[in-house]
Amino acid sequence: MPANKELSAALDIEGTVPIHSVQLDAMVVLKIVKHCRESAPATVTGQLMGLDVNGVLEVTHSFPMPKNQESEDFEGSQYQLQMMRCLREVNVDDNSVGWYQSTNMGNFMNQSLIEHQFEFQQALNKSVLIIHDVARSSMGNLNLRALRLTPAFMKLYKEKKFTTEALAKAKLTFSNIFEELPITIRNTALLNALLFELETSDDSVEVSASHLTTYKNSSNNTSNKSALTPSFDMLDLSLDPYVAKNLENLMETIDDHQQEQGNYAYWQRSVERENKKKAAYLANRKTENARRAQAGQAPLPNEDVDSMFKLPAEPSRLDHLLISGQIDNYCKQINEFAGPTLGKLFAVGELQK
Amino acid sequence: MMDNSSTLHLALPAVYTVPSAVAPATTLAQPRAFSTSVNPLVFFSILDHYLRRNADQDRVIGTLLGVRSEDGAEVEIKGCYPVPHLESQDQVEVDMEYHRTMFDLHKQVNPKEVIVGWYATGADLNSYSALIHDFYQKEVSSFPAVHLTMDTALTNERLGVKTYISAPVGITSKGDNCMFIPIPCDVKYFKAERAGLELLASTKDTESGSTTLLSDMDNLERAVIDVQKMLERVSEYVDAVLAGTVPANNTVGRYLMDTVSVVPKVDAAEFEKMFNSHLQDLLMVIYLANMTRTQLAVAKRLEKLL
Repeated sequence: MPANKELSAALDIEGTVPIHSVQLDAMVVLKIVKHCRESAPATVTGQLMGLDVNGVLEVTHSFPMPKNQESEDFEGSQYQLQMMRCLREVNVDDNSVGWYQSTNMGNFMNQSLIEHQFEFQQALNKSVLIIHDVARSSMGNLNLRALRLTPAFMKLYKEKKFTTEALAKAKLTFSNIFEELPITIRNTALLNALLFELETSDDSVEVSASHLTTYKNSSNNTSNKSALTPSFDMLDLSLDPYVAKNLENLMETIDDHQQEQGNYAYWQRSVERENKKKAAYLANRKTENARRAQAGQAPLPNEDVDSMFKLPAEPSRLDHLLISGQIDNYCKQINEFAGPTLGKLFAVGELQK
Repeated sequence: MMDNSSTLHLALPAVYTVPSAVAPATTLAQPRAFSTSVNPLVFFSILDHYLRRNADQDRVIGTLLGVRSEDGAEVEIKGCYPVPHLESQDQVEVDMEYHRTMFDLHKQVNPKEVIVGWYATGADLNSYSALIHDFYQKEVSSFPAVHLTMDTALTNERLGVKTYISAPVGITSKGDNCMFIPIPCDVKYFKAERAGLELLASTKDTESGSTTLLSDMDNLERAVIDVQKMLERVSEYVDAVLAGTVPANNTVGRYLMDTVSVVPKVDAAEFEKMFNSHLQDLLMVIYLANMTRTQLAVAKRLEKLL
């Protein structure tokens, strides 16, 4: 039956269609933003629920996870189970599709995050990680990213083999640890009604009073009371704190990078040393064998050489990968930030004339 | 306070609390008017809950979470969760156990938020409302419980959001004898949330109701266009006033005056200096960042050669 076929294609029962974009419900966006903001600057995580429909991962609900407590695993999973059971009772999609994490200035590349996402993707092939950057969002532009580990990385991580050779073979570099999915945000019709309401409530009578209060309180600007007035945080000219912080982070990561490189160089030297020793030994053996052949004796066996000279194991290149990725991230951020800022600077320059 | 007929006199159940030392003297003399502020997330969650209701249900209720100010006169509603309930002709059933479990779960994540009241969809208050309110009143102990209603049926073409607290009425103080008194409520959000909200607001004009994230540059462009529009509007208005077609409004005039006076006056030479130094800083940073990226790219290529 064609209808049946269509349905099964839409629901993608076999799970064959890879997800190519993420659709967030407006409520989920606000929930994530609220949770992350309230506990900033600490990093927090939460669970995403939803459904994948034909390659689009629809995230329709989320709930925050408690911060690290003692016996985290037990508490966390207990909490999660109970929460999901409760949500199912009120008809929420109780299908876990990933998790979210807050971050500050984009420094999210670390081992534990990778491990967590790996576990997720291992268990549920179609799970995503949503990264929300609190610091950048408070500058006037919502910053959300949807990430997934690439299949190549998943394979390598499973084998725990991060040697230079394996990386080169898998063509894995820092830029393809994650694949980024485009995010769309969806509002329901009722929500649109609400948003219109929030906007239009401004021109009723009481609003002149509320304008007055905001006028008076403009000095303590922690919260803005009138609903949906346009915000011009974007036009803020001060670039120093952001850039300074970003550069600081960048410097720190580059230091890490340096250290990592030091480790690698050390390993290379020791390998070289061993190799030299081995070569010397082999040469020695050769001359001796030649001598013995001349004397008519049987040559000495060569097999035990490898066991005699053990090459030191190559250090895991995962750290190196992550650090490179992080540096790249910071640089991109600076570039992204710099474009609009240049624009703003010149705009102000023109204004002054 | 209320436009009641003269036969019924009701007092707002004032919040008589222990006068704290930090509170200014005026609050000691008379209790402040009770007021609430709501995080937009609450509305969003309520609507989501309403959309996910069971087929035979015509209204949904849930618990409101939030924080109170020190003297209890101001309530900030920050979150909420749905509570299943059953309404029939002659009785109402609220799943208390569910309510408790959910609250315990929420407490693990956000210990600061406490129960402050409950919400329901629909514009009217009925006798069950009083019963449910009585239950929530017990939950919040000495503070007045807040009841928030949202008119999801869009009567009057509006999504009327109203908040109430209850006042006892009648001689016997039974729980379900009460009167709902409207209280002021406004929307409150923070910088990061506003960024999100603004983005969501941009979807309301599109047909599909969906949007994608904007880059910083696009966002800047939008902001600049907005400013331009506002400036145009203001100058149009000022021109109209000057031409005498529109009567002058003193308040608006004062606002404009203040705004204009805020613009700093910077000496041209000084500005030039500042402008250039900033520009140089920025260019330097861009240059360095690009340099670093190039290095990384080179390293990447080298690795592949191995």
